Amino acid sequence: MTNHWIDFKNADVILVMGANPAENHPISMKWIMKAREKGAKLIVVDPRFTRTAAKADIYAQMRSGTDIAFLGGMINYILKNNLYFREYVVNYTNATFLVTPDFKGPGEFNGVFSGYDEKTRKYDKKTWSIQMDDKGVPKKDPMLKDPNSVFQLLKKHYSRYTLDKVSSITGTPKEKLIEVYKTYASTGKPNRAGTELYAMGWTQHTVGTQNIRAMSIIQLLLGNMGMAGGGINALRGASNVQGSTDHGLLFHILPGYLPVPSAAVVDLKTYIEKFTPKTKDPKSVNWGGNRPKYITSYLKAIYGDKATKENDFGYSYLPKIDEGMNCSWLMLFDQMFKGKFEGFFVWGQNPACSSGNAGKVRKALSKLKWMVNVTLFDDETGSFWKGPDTDPKEIQTEVFQLPVTTIVEKEGSITNSGRLAQWRYRTIEPIGESKPDSEIMNELYFRIKRLYQKQGGKFPEPILNLTWDYGKKGADGKIKKLDIHSVAKEINGYYLEDLFDKKVTPPKQLGKKGDLCTNFVTLQADGTTSCGNWIYSGSYTQADGRVVNMMARRGKKDIGGLGLYPEWGWAWPLNRRIIYNRASVDLNGNPWDPKRAVIKWNPNKLDPKTKKTAPGWDGDVPDGPAPPLADEKAGKYPFIMRPDGMGAIFGPGLADGPFPEHYEPLECPLSENPMSKKQRINPTIKLFYTKEGGLPEDIFLSGDTRYPYVATTYRVTEHWQTGVLTRHEPWQMEMMPQQFVEISKELAAEKGIKNGDKVTVSSARGKVWAIAWVTDRFKPFKVMNTTVHQIGLPWCFGWQHPEDGSGGDSSNLLTPTIGDANTMIPESKAFMVNVERA
Amino acid sequence: MARKALLISPELCIGCRGCQTACKAWNQLPATKTANKGSAENPPDLTPNLYNKIRYVEMPSETNTVRWLFVSQRCMHCDDAGCIKICPAPGALFKTKEGATAFNKDNCIGCKLCVAACPFNVPRYDEKEKISKCNLCSDRIADGLAPACAKTCPTGAIRYGDRDEIIGKTQKAGYQKLYGQMDLGGLGVLYAFKDSPKIYGMDEHPQIPETVVFWHKVLKPLAYLGLGGAVAASLLHYIAIGPKKDEEVK
Amino acid sequence: MGNQMIKKANAFEILNHWLLAGSFLILTLSGFGFLFHLQQVVAIFGSANTMKIWHNYAGIVFSISLFLTIFNYLPVSLKFGSDDMGWIMKAGGYFAKKAAIPPQDVINAGQKLYYLFILFAGIAIAASGFFIWLRPQVDDIRKWILLSHLVHNIAFDLFMIAVPLHIYLGTLANPGTFRIMVYGTVPLEWAKKRHAKWVQKMGY
Ligand code: HEM
Ligand code: HEM
Ligand code: SF4
Ligand code: SF4
Ligand code: SF4
Ligand code: SF4
Repeated sequence: MTNHWIDFKNADVILVMGANPAENHPISMKWIMKAREKGAKLIVVDPRFTRTAAKADIYAQMRSGTDIAFLGGMINYILKNNLYFREYVVNYTNATFLVTPDFKGPGEFNGVFSGYDEKTRKYDKKTWSIQMDDKGVPKKDPMLKDPNSVFQLLKKHYSRYTLDKVSSITGTPKEKLIEVYKTYASTGKPNRAGTELYAMGWTQHTVGTQNIRAMSIIQLLLGNMGMAGGGINALRGASNVQGSTDHGLLFHILPGYLPVPSAAVVDLKTYIEKFTPKTKDPKSVNWGGNRPKYITSYLKAIYGDKATKENDFGYSYLPKIDEGMNCSWLMLFDQMFKGKFEGFFVWGQNPACSSGNAGKVRKALSKLKWMVNVTLFDDETGSFWKGPDTDPKEIQTEVFQLPVTTIVEKEGSITNSGRLAQWRYRTIEPIGESKPDSEIMNELYFRIKRLYQKQGGKFPEPILNLTWDYGKKGADGKIKKLDIHSVAKEINGYYLEDLFDKKVTPPKQLGKKGDLCTNFVTLQADGTTSCGNWIYSGSYTQADGRVVNMMARRGKKDIGGLGLYPEWGWAWPLNRRIIYNRASVDLNGNPWDPKRAVIKWNPNKLDPKTKKTAPGWDGDVPDGPAPPLADEKAGKYPFIMRPDGMGAIFGPGLADGPFPEHYEPLECPLSENPMSKKQRINPTIKLFYTKEGGLPEDIFLSGDTRYPYVATTYRVTEHWQTGVLTRHEPWQMEMMPQQFVEISKELAAEKGIKNGDKVTVSSARGKVWAIAWVTDRFKPFKVMNTTVHQIGLPWCFGWQHPEDGSGGDSSNLLTPTIGDANTMIPESKAFMVNVERA
Repeated sequence: MARKALLISPELCIGCRGCQTACKAWNQLPATKTANKGSAENPPDLTPNLYNKIRYVEMPSETNTVRWLFVSQRCMHCDDAGCIKICPAPGALFKTKEGATAFNKDNCIGCKLCVAACPFNVPRYDEKEKISKCNLCSDRIADGLAPACAKTCPTGAIRYGDRDEIIGKTQKAGYQKLYGQMDLGGLGVLYAFKDSPKIYGMDEHPQIPETVVFWHKVLKPLAYLGLGGAVAASLLHYIAIGPKKDEEVK
Repeated sequence: MGNQMIKKANAFEILNHWLLAGSFLILTLSGFGFLFHLQQVVAIFGSANTMKIWHNYAGIVFSISLFLTIFNYLPVSLKFGSDDMGWIMKAGGYFAKKAAIPPQDVINAGQKLYYLFILFAGIAIAASGFFIWLRPQVDDIRKWILLSHLVHNIAFDLFMIAVPLHIYLGTLANPGTFRIMVYGTVPLEWAKKRHAKWVQKMGY
């Protein structure tokens, strides 16, 4: 999230699209309802009338997978009716930038952007670049008139998204579109703020990243980024997803979003050169330019004394991926299916139910020699070998199950979607043989290390040289009881030498050797600081000799009634509660909306310690201390994480285009894309199954009469993810005992299905049974002058529990093997199925 | 002690059913094995192990795709409680000082008359035939804690507090009259309805069954009166006229 | 001659009467305990739960006993003639120091009416009582329970009026009557005056 949960209460309009907070993030509704009580409007756009929709002021029904059409229409509406926040757009976004004249959009280029190569299914982005002046600074047209300006290109691109067109794609009536557009666009005024909440309803599409991009453009046009009650807010699907992503969960990033190097990035120098963004614009902070400090401090944190200047701080120990290699979820299981893996650690997840095309995953597991399932309860993954249609005699995989503790049986931090890290304590001792994850890792580490010590192995150094100072060591060199605080401290980082600010005379001491770092501002690239994750630097600090776990703070002081609560826990970066907050003020540092002042430039700010006054910012921790932009010499652009300092309306960074374009889902009811007939689906997604062939497991059938209905999947309040935790919880099972499918009354009548009937839902890949809920919450859509039916079913059930099989099985047996062009997140929110009475 | 109450605002309820689970957790009520019968509303009705539940009301809407209401239901803790009125067992049902209608299973004789007298069809009976229903978390509120359901509710759709204060606040918020403000001597569970209570599946004018009222007002005293009267008449007759002597009989 | 006894009630009849009276007493006592939450009464039974058990099982005894009375009293009670009307017109002579009463059968008109009342109200209270107790599975059970509750209590009130009078009439008001329910016999002279028809039928 750019903002945070409590901040929803500050919004004037809340657009929930691609999310269902009432069911999946119930507590968020507290703040949404608070906003509503103050007169805010809640807009819900969803194919299905959800429990969130039940609370909405405006509900718009939209066919799954057509979000970009919907949002594109909104961009068009905003531009056509001049509803954008001009001062913001001109000064804080790249709308003024000039793009190379060779750039062409899909409207003039057969449904793809210029630079597309059909063979590699990739873009050559040369034509997507920004024109630079002789100083290397982007050329701009502050009047927004130049035909090559981002603004004019945007206008041209989205002029194709007319109300009629959008309505015919999305199935949303025109009046509803206008109502939504009008209401949301009302936040384009300085004194109004609109926020957007999304979750898997946006990410789990072949155009997932572009869904979010489209909204970013809207938020920049309306001047909602950086505002209290604004921003784009990803509602994470689990309490600590934010934390685990921050700490390097994904294959392509190290902790703190440092890129994972490929084999071609041979040494630290190359790494720094390749991954350190540069700018020649003196007004751009380009915070990413600090990357050398962060990667070096990271190496020092994990390899300690073994990381020296001489050995490139142990850079060679870092694991590398092959050039162009993708190790994301779908690829992992594809490789596993093809027998490329010997062993597999499944840790805190249940891919046999949660994965897109779970049937393929279940088969892939059988190709393993061994599997370790670290879990609370046995699940469909751990027991895959005795699952439906599986003969245990034919499975060679040896499965180990390691019982792990629940959250209340262990101590540590949890980072919520608002980037707020909160310390939690152990309340009861672990039951039976279960251990916290960290203890299991500790065990593993020492055993693997011992093996390397004994047997040598190919490349033992990365393991042998790893620092592992997480507690007292026994005579055998092993840590008996892992101290989670020492992990948190390592993440925060230490001063390895005394640190001085040499720019002032006499040099001022910034840090003492052995102390915890104050924050990432003091990190160094020369190996004199360590830091396990730079964005968390400042979370566990040493102030006046006293060690403070900032995440454990529980202060209830607020700033300006905005619900920032700066003394409660700790938010990255630097305890900033709303990021991009420099965009919430005008060029002079005064808030666009004084009633919602996140920060404010104060020429006479009092330093409580020195009792002296000096110019500075009041309010939230600002995005850098620099004075406001009006300051000719020292003023800085607001978007400090972008090399050019500007909010990106034009986004050449993504694989599938600098502007979001509507493409149909891999499986859709239409034979062609109404937006551009030549290109039905996202041109840059990796296809697992093509005309030339592919695994039968990866088959997909679009526009096929056997599978005529659009389907989507979702979670329900009563169950958690695949239900491994909640299906073992009788109270939850009592409320939601069995797989169901929601069907419109119209489709039910066509199919002779009655409420409560058992039906079979099937796709090209599999089938599940479900109990029919015949309801008005789904309605047939009018799409391109035909009637399109959509259904939906949850993915929280599995065959393994309840043991009598009464729950049903995962709806992911139906979903396809296809992912987003940028992230490879599987597309499970739009696919085609059939429904029949069982 | 000021009378306490719950305020239910269906406007704020998101149907998450945290209240249902919290109640079970606090009151240690086991789950029942249910089946999906075509609705999220499950268990479909209150049970001895389900003190509260969310009623999901789906109805057509003129302005929207559909209208979907969530209403939390439980014992209403009526001031004039039909259940207490009819209960033949001393100490089985009683009012706490906070105004909760609480029960003591040890004293309950399992006659199940209370459910018949309850205007809201609330009491249920456990496997030993003893009464089982929401008791407004009497143990919690006696210690100054909010009931488990109110404590859990993420949106404030269930609020707990002094009854008068709640009424005052909601009046300020624009609700002229709360459901349950006057009925049955004033309910301990108030509803801030934006629409007719009927739409939410509630009786417009809840009432204790007339027979129970009649019995309470007339028949009960009559038992004493009748007995007393008959004895007195006999006595009077004995004194005034006296017994029949053999010689008198012809 | 003056102390010749004739048999008015057999052993079965006597036993049954006391079963009826005894169970009724328990039911009344516990009934009052329920109605008015009388802690002293509850204390007699031990607890409300045991009181309910007593009440329910006394109810069974009462019902059986009531059923058995039919053989003794129903046929005669249904024979209602002009002499009976005469008895009623004179109110059994209870409101006069001296009154000429038409000759009566083995039980007089008042007793007949009393019996019919006991039978009727007894069936009502028993049926309603059993309905509340056993809750048969019927549609709209709530309505039926409420009705039963009402009937049970109306009957109870009527009993509360009728039974004390009966006891008074069987004891103090009519000296010599009580022994019927102890020995089953009455003096012939006594019977001649009160149940002339019956005495005649018996051949005296
Ligand atoms: C014939 C069989 C009878 C049965 C099966 C029966 C059963 C019941 C039952 C089930 C109750 C509810 C409380 C409880 O469960 O104990 C009850 C209450 C009561 N019964 Fe009976 N009863 C019978 C006869 C009588 C008789 C003969 C009387 C008195 C003459 C009587 C007087 C009462 C009273 C006063 C109450 C409490 C009033 C109330 O709360 O409804 N019952 N009886
Ligand atoms: C403890 C008090 C009672 C006493 C002293 C008493 C006494 C008597 C006596 C002396 C008779 C014989 C009258 C006759 O044959 O001429 C009689 C009959 C009878 N009693 Fe009772 N009784 C008592 C309680 C009850 C109760 C509680 C009931 C029923 C609810 C009852 C029902 C009857 C009936 C049905 C008869 C036969 C009809 C009749 O003779 O009136 N008695 N009783
Ligand atoms: S709602 Fe029913 S059970 Fe609750 S107090 Fe009122 S009458 Fe009694
Ligand atoms: S069931 Fe229990 S609580 Fe209910 S009326 Fe009977 S004795 Fe009272
Ligand atoms: S007040 Fe307590 S007992 Fe009643 S419903 Fe709420 S949690 Fe359950
Ligand atoms: S916890 Fe609150 S919001 Fe959730 S269902 Fe219950 S009353 Fe509604």
